[in-house]
Amino acid sequence: MDIESLIENVANALTAGITIGCIYGLMCIGLGLIFGIMKVVNFAQGEILMLGMFASLYLVTGGGILAFLGPYIGPFVGAILAGPIVFIVGALLHKFLISRVSGLKTAGSIDDGHFGQLIVTLGISLILQNGGMIVFGSTPFTVRTPLSSSAIEVGLGYGDATVFLNKAKLIACAVAIATALALYFVMEFTRIGKALRAAADNPTAATYMGINVDNYYRMAFGMGCGITAIAGGLMATYLSFGPFVGFDYVIIMYSGVVLGGIGSIMGAFWGGLTVGFVQQFSALVLPPQLQNAMIFIVFLLIVLLRPQGLFGRSAERA
Amino acid sequence: MLEISNLSVSYGGLRALTDVSLTVGEGQFVTVVGPNGAGKTTLFKTISGVVKPAAGKITFLGKDLATISASQRAHLGIAHVPEGRQVFKTLTVRENLEMGAYPEAGRAKWSHTLERIHTLFPILAERAQQLAGTLSGGEQQMVAIGRGLACAPRLLMLDEPSMGLAPAVTDTIFERVQQIHKEDGVTILLVEQRVAEALELSDHGYVLETGHMVLDGPYETLLADDRVRKSYLGLT
Repeated sequence: MDIESLIENVANALTAGITIGCIYGLMCIGLGLIFGIMKVVNFAQGEILMLGMFASLYLVTGGGILAFLGPYIGPFVGAILAGPIVFIVGALLHKFLISRVSGLKTAGSIDDGHFGQLIVTLGISLILQNGGMIVFGSTPFTVRTPLSSSAIEVGLGYGDATVFLNKAKLIACAVAIATALALYFVMEFTRIGKALRAAADNPTAATYMGINVDNYYRMAFGMGCGITAIAGGLMATYLSFGPFVGFDYVIIMYSGVVLGGIGSIMGAFWGGLTVGFVQQFSALVLPPQLQNAMIFIVFLLIVLLRPQGLFGRSAERA
Repeated sequence: MLEISNLSVSYGGLRALTDVSLTVGEGQFVTVVGPNGAGKTTLFKTISGVVKPAAGKITFLGKDLATISASQRAHLGIAHVPEGRQVFKTLTVRENLEMGAYPEAGRAKWSHTLERIHTLFPILAERAQQLAGTLSGGEQQMVAIGRGLACAPRLLMLDEPSMGLAPAVTDTIFERVQQIHKEDGVTILLVEQRVAEALELSDHGYVLETGHMVLDGPYETLLADDRVRKSYLGLT
């Protein structure tokens, strides 16, 4: 391999790592939000991602209500609108299922409801996978946009080395960053965000402040689902998916959340970004089948050296 | 203002409170004293609504609290400063106070109460941007009390504010509580193990033992009672 193509490969892995990593980061925020606020480990988050993809698909293609926006803008508006749709799905799931095994209802019980949460979320995951099989079928789908097969070429000024920036991924990355920033703003500076953090920190004390913890947990679960769904809608523009797509990504989501530091919502974004990076860089030297293995080697290394995650921090007085 | 009649509470068959009655009048300073495990904290949690009573009635400003959910009670003007402080450790001091002002009444008076809290506890202004979990125990207690004040309460319930604090810090806390009562006209219901100091501050005291109200009366009456003198004040 000569130096020119080496530079080209590294530069392309770098940009692909950033673009895909940002989308992974958004996906991880959804899971991190649910875990960070409610301490619920949601095994169905991969299927929530899948729902986001299908929500976007039905909005955009066929006779979808967004068809008039055309193939350039439509898929991205569809991805954003998948958020509120899946938010409602998540809020309903919480109301009828998750709330029975979490929050104040199980606070102080022997396992804090974790066993119930494990079974309930696994059950939701299986139902959504197989239900998806019945409703959507098994042929792979994709939300087509001509942008996914066109790229901006940037010369690197070293021979013919060129970076190819896929337009669809570039826009998806921008939407992901904007969504993550918007969420960050909401969590840090608004009354709702602060109340969510208070409810996460100490639900009983939050109740004493007049915060309806159950409602805020419902909102957190819906938001977590909605955010991951937006990431799903964005991913749907460049990859083909079916009802079982969630399984591949739930692993990435978990490693991202743990890497970022459990409980740190914005850390989850950096965790997801790291995972995207590792995945793309490992493709330089390893066959594609080993990409996920590489993610876990890096994961184990980071956990070994920094058990609290990259951004986990302690608020306790030593 | 707060009227509790014949209240009983059980935890899974275990009686924590039996037939407890208590009255707090507008503008009063009422103290409940008693040993560990007497049910003092349970009494507070029942008033706040996080523990459900088995029998009895609680009314606040004439409203029966039975049908009012725990989170709604803060909106009525009941502020609960819980045992062990329970500050939001991962939120800054300022954010903790803001959360105290979550109810409508607190928000309306926010800038005024914040100033008042900072006058009472100047250290909180200094540490506004620090995470509450990194404060010392005494400072956390100040955050907890400030957070209670921030909702512009009608009734401020303090559950053992002296717990785990150095005597000098406790003195400051008691002094501030008295100021809040006198200067801001907030009605106070206090639970304490430091009986002498607590009773001294109050208009009316109750003695709770193993879930029963065994005695009540104004400060002078309690002080004259042999049992109180022996068991709580160490006097003979």
